[in-house]
Amino acid sequence: MKEVSPVYPKAFIPYGTWGGSWFPAWHTSPLAEVNIAKFAAEGMAFVFGKKGIPLSELDYLASGSTIPWLYKFWASPYLSHSFGKRLPGFHIEQACATGLQVVIKAAAQVQSGSHSVVGVLTFDKTSNSPAGVFPNYGTYRRTEVISDIWDNFGYDPSTGQTGFNQAKGETSMIACAGRAARKYKLDKNEVAELAHHRYQQYYSAKESGKLNKFLFPMTILDVRGQKIGEVDDDTGVRKYNSLDQFKAERELDTCVTAGGQTHASDGMFTMIVATEEKARELSKNPEITIQLIAAAEYRTEPGFMPDAPTYAVKQLLERTGLTMDDMTAVYDHNPFAVNDAIFAKVFNYDWHKMNDTGCPMIYGHPQGPTLVRVTVEALERTVELGGGYAMIFGCAAGDVGIAAIFKVTDSKGRS
Amino acid sequence: MKSMRQSTLQTLGFKPIIDIFKNGRMPFDIDELVDEVFGPAGNRGALVISGGNGIVGSGKAMQLGSRLLPYDIPIITLDLPNAPDGLGQQYSGLKASFGAKTADEIMSNIIRLSYNGASLPKALKGYKPRFLLEAIPEILQLKKSHYEMMRAHFSEIEIRSVTSGFPMKELGVGILHPSFPHQINKIWEVIEEKPSPITHLLLALGLIPIPVSDNWSFVLDVLFCGITLAATRCNQAVNMPYWKIDKYVRRLVGPNPLRAHDVIGPGACFLTWSCLHHLAETYGEVFRPTPELVRRKNSGETWYSSDRPVVDWDMDDEEEFESWVLGPLFQMTSLILHEQRAHLSYMNAIGELCAQFTKGILAFIRNYGADRAIAIVEKYHQKHPAAAQSCWYPDVFAKMDTPEWEQLYVNAEHDGQVGLITISRESLNWDVINELNRAIDWLKREGIDSVIITGDFHLSTQMVGADTTEFFPALSDENKGYKVALNWSKAARRLNDEFKTSVGFINGKRCLGGMMELMMHCHYIIALDSARLGMPEVTLPVVPGMEGCHWAIRKTDPANYGKVFNLLLTGKSVKAKEVEGWLIDFAGSMEDCLKKAWALASGKDSTPKRKLTESAVKLSAGIPDQPPAGNPLMEAGRKAIFDCIKASCAVPLSQAIEVQAKHSAGFMTTKSCQKGVIGGSYKKMMAV
Repeated sequence: MKEVSPVYPKAFIPYGTWGGSWFPAWHTSPLAEVNIAKFAAEGMAFVFGKKGIPLSELDYLASGSTIPWLYKFWASPYLSHSFGKRLPGFHIEQACATGLQVVIKAAAQVQSGSHSVVGVLTFDKTSNSPAGVFPNYGTYRRTEVISDIWDNFGYDPSTGQTGFNQAKGETSMIACAGRAARKYKLDKNEVAELAHHRYQQYYSAKESGKLNKFLFPMTILDVRGQKIGEVDDDTGVRKYNSLDQFKAERELDTCVTAGGQTHASDGMFTMIVATEEKARELSKNPEITIQLIAAAEYRTEPGFMPDAPTYAVKQLLERTGLTMDDMTAVYDHNPFAVNDAIFAKVFNYDWHKMNDTGCPMIYGHPQGPTLVRVTVEALERTVELGGGYAMIFGCAAGDVGIAAIFKVTDSKGRS
Repeated sequence: MKSMRQSTLQTLGFKPIIDIFKNGRMPFDIDELVDEVFGPAGNRGALVISGGNGIVGSGKAMQLGSRLLPYDIPIITLDLPNAPDGLGQQYSGLKASFGAKTADEIMSNIIRLSYNGASLPKALKGYKPRFLLEAIPEILQLKKSHYEMMRAHFSEIEIRSVTSGFPMKELGVGILHPSFPHQINKIWEVIEEKPSPITHLLLALGLIPIPVSDNWSFVLDVLFCGITLAATRCNQAVNMPYWKIDKYVRRLVGPNPLRAHDVIGPGACFLTWSCLHHLAETYGEVFRPTPELVRRKNSGETWYSSDRPVVDWDMDDEEEFESWVLGPLFQMTSLILHEQRAHLSYMNAIGELCAQFTKGILAFIRNYGADRAIAIVEKYHQKHPAAAQSCWYPDVFAKMDTPEWEQLYVNAEHDGQVGLITISRESLNWDVINELNRAIDWLKREGIDSVIITGDFHLSTQMVGADTTEFFPALSDENKGYKVALNWSKAARRLNDEFKTSVGFINGKRCLGGMMELMMHCHYIIALDSARLGMPEVTLPVVPGMEGCHWAIRKTDPANYGKVFNLLLTGKSVKAKEVEGWLIDFAGSMEDCLKKAWALASGKDSTPKRKLTESAVKLSAGIPDQPPAGNPLMEAGRKAIFDCIKASCAVPLSQAIEVQAKHSAGFMTTKSCQKGVIGGSYKKMMAV
């Protein structure tokens, strides 16, 4: 394995100190009824409790989400209050890049020497998302009311000012996927095969029980303290028995079908970034070390979001001198199957080798925590394969791509 | 005179309880004690309560003010001029307890004086202070200066501190440490060289002074602060939120320590921290306050969030939870036992009486057994090695077969002729039943065939019935209900079957339910004429399981059957005097009752025993119609009780015990019982 120095050499991710909720599709679980921030904070305590990690080990909280929530102004201090601690911390937001971005910034926090055990907490609730009312004197009504999910998914204001017609739906996410598919001349049948394969990967991983290592069923309470239900599955995952079912689906845009795109969902995910000493102490297997090697971001042409991560990966490889052949595990946050197909085509990479245990296209897309779950799945897979590099990437609103390489060293493994 | 163990009353300087019966009077005279503490009538000195507007000071002003009202003793409350009005807040409670007229009289006897903390108001001298109850903030130097100032003006004044943790050797004055809530809780932990007239006066006023040794912190505080600390440590270890830990602690031990702190208010965490801090300094890490407690001591933050919790928690590992909660609690208990801080019955009872422990801590540990208790502490030490470094005395658990451990609630004495069994727990449970059996065994071994059974004139001021938490397993398992009813009844029958004469003396405010059934089994029942007696089972609803559905009927004339039915089917209590002759044999004043009980037991009074009908009883006459119960649960209870009466009376006495037990157990598993008071408390306490 090629040796590349980590960008933050003092920051380590303790193996196995991670996890989160299942990602139920929006409006299909009790999460639709609760303050998601409080759920996330309590969920973090719950996950760490199951993992045997006392919250008192944390000295900082880095959090991220994208959809407004009650008391968001108070950000991380409110979140740590909600699990009974008083930690300092920041909150960041970068659409679907949020999760990975929080992990990267948490590593920077450790590298800076200011804190030694940084909790990462990401979450979002697309169900019952709030609407905001904004003064906007440039418009006739002088006021804008924005429904955070629907309106933003349907309209990218920067893309919308570059010639695309909002009224015809040209500024939506789906339009981006279709447009990118046309640009890369993707084959509809291949995209269908790819999507079908992704489902089989997920079904297989779920059936094997691998997901239970990091997904924790949680019981949700109402304001009276009564149980209102369980969050114990990625509800909303479609059932496909054959490739023909995919091929028969109506195209919503070029190469975009219902089965080939993600769905809105709710959930939380958490992990830890720490100093070497604390990481070894907290790790569920101290023989395994995990570090961030490098990260990159790229903003592509307006309205071509699905190819942005490909270019982020390209930059990352160029900067590190690594190649895709050096990667043990490759995981993509792919709201569309188109994303994976573009990546595979540009890199001439076999898409069968990606996303071995599932991907957001299948299990849903709650934005904030999505790329943390992707990261955890990638790291677990890399550990399973004996160590090596894990490439993690994904797209985000605003035609942005983000990518990061983590190195997993298992003293008993190959690297 | 012989006894199984020392009675708790003896620790206050009194003789064995059997002497009370022999002498036909209580061992103290309240009028004499009032004269001794406050001076003779017409020249009474004042009770001064400093810090009189605080939670403790104002509560005790109400409690003592109401009890001393007949004696014309001025109650002076002393506080800083800007102290918030704590006394005024007490008025509504006072009115609810005593009515507006008496409440006004009590308040009008409380004289509020202000001072600046450094010099006393001139007016104080005019009230001739005799006794200072100091309830000022927990700052040692402040307290000492306060005593100096008082003594400089009133050299003869008796001073007691309510301190929440300083020992007498630090304060230089005796201690009367009360328990929360201060206006109603009767318990006072007492530290003084020897039992004083003040302490005896508290007892005479119906309060419960408990002598304890002079150590940092008090028995109750070690237990309650200790379990609070254990709960916070558990949170630190496993992340379970405070509200959920609190529920599991309640299920396991009884109290909700964290909720209790929130209810008491912002100062509670300071007091708990203060107690633990001093204990940690003296005894080591098992008492060291957690950072979360220190934080709340400083900030006043509550344990329960105002935001309701969203994620529920389950218990993955009961043993781990036990080790985090019971481990330190058992270790702390080993300390108070090792230091012999008090009579074992006190140490046992105080958690039940003041901190909602389901069982006394020693009875709780006794049920675990020494080996298991020690193993739990050792498991806790594996997780918290620093706690193992000091203050762990496993040897104290090796004495569980001594009478002091075996008879925590029930004691027995005899003078060679007459035996006396005293019960210090207000409700019956398995512990009391087992101890009762051991007490009867002991008396029988000692050749005693006459016995009086009564309360202990100290810790127990009433007999409220059965401890319904013992019925929880029976809600879903009829066999368990049957076992409770049958075995408890068998123990009660021993009072009828194994003694030539048995006298039940109801010496407190009331005797209800299971306790009434226990007393019914005596050949004679005697009660204070002010006592209220009743069978409230129908209101829960449950079917009386200790033969209450047939025993009283078998012991009375058919003309009175209707009265027994009324008692059972309405659940209403009645004054003892009203049931004299058909439910009980005698009602009178304390002295009359003591004399009557002794005379009956010693054979000097030949009043014939009411006959117990051993054959089946015909119930054709005298069964009154009952007005509608008003709710379906009570209606179901009435029907079940009525069925039980008919069935248990229709068979001979020898069979009735099993018939009644079956009826009682059968009803316990019905929806009516599960939806009733017992089912409700089960859900609240156990269905976490």
